[in-house]
Amino acid sequence: MDKLLQEAKALYKDRIRIVLSAIIIVFSITFFLYYTLGLAGLGLVENPGPAQPPEPSSSGLMVMASFNNLGLIVAVGLLVVVYKFWSWAFLPGPATLYTLSVLKGILGSNAVVKQAIGKRFKVMLENGMTFGVSCQIRIEGTEEWFSYRLVSAEIESDNLRNIALRHGFSTIDKRIVGNVSNDELHHRTLLLAKAMMMAAPAV
Amino acid sequence: MERGTNDASVYELVQLMASLNDTRRAILLALAHIYPRSVSGVQLSRLIGYSGKSRSLYRGVISHLKENEMIQIDQLTPKLYAIRVNNEHPLLSVLVDLCRSHGSHAQKVYLKALEEE
Repeated sequence: MDKLLQEAKALYKDRIRIVLSAIIIVFSITFFLYYTLGLAGLGLVENPGPAQPPEPSSSGLMVMASFNNLGLIVAVGLLVVVYKFWSWAFLPGPATLYTLSVLKGILGSNAVVKQAIGKRFKVMLENGMTFGVSCQIRIEGTEEWFSYRLVSAEIESDNLRNIALRHGFSTIDKRIVGNVSNDELHHRTLLLAKAMMMAAPAV
Repeated sequence: MERGTNDASVYELVQLMASLNDTRRAILLALAHIYPRSVSGVQLSRLIGYSGKSRSLYRGVISHLKENEMIQIDQLTPKLYAIRVNNEHPLLSVLVDLCRSHGSHAQKVYLKALEEE
């Protein structure tokens, strides 16, 4: 694996650790804030005296639906949502650098590589054709890190399927698609660019 | 003419094989040599010297090869798959032909490895 990707992998693992510890800290703080000040309403029974005891079932319901419980759930839920968004949206820095430099390297400086949120890259070749590259940090249940999916723009060609197969790809809805691992990215991007040129109607 | 189209296919085949990583290349070469035999996932991972679990081989590699129609998978039972190279593929049929005409020695090695349990 490339050195940059190894760094990115280590960063990613660190990131998970940091997020886990942050969740634990924030969880304890919100827990403390919400539950040491008394449950909403319940702690404020003014005159305990000989008043009638509250219905057990309804007071249980009050505890469950109290502001504090909801607040705690919302706070923890928000943390998880933010983390999920973060790991959906961003690649670790070194991995981005690796991807960009590989794409730029093989396609030349005239190709435009745009980064989009969601770990995606949009590439526009010199001749105006585009294809997308999306990165997956980790495939569940395998040892593979940082694999890419290449998807070309729609191409009108009778021969598309044959051309795609001859370059190691397949077609879905007039698009050339394929999954490549990080060490294949360089060469298979080249093949994809070549396949797109062959399939494109002569301009 | 015949010679010319043949060369073009061989050129494309070399390009294709060069673009794949070690694991995928090893799988295609092994399967092309033993074609038309098919192997199970466990046999395949042993055949190519894969150190991980055969299940992770399936998820990361074999399913992608299948998507790109380089190999065919027949499900014999829920847990047993028969994997073989896709001879309908325009380039891999060339590879299979090459292995048939020049690869008899390598084929013996592969088949021997399959027989040993």
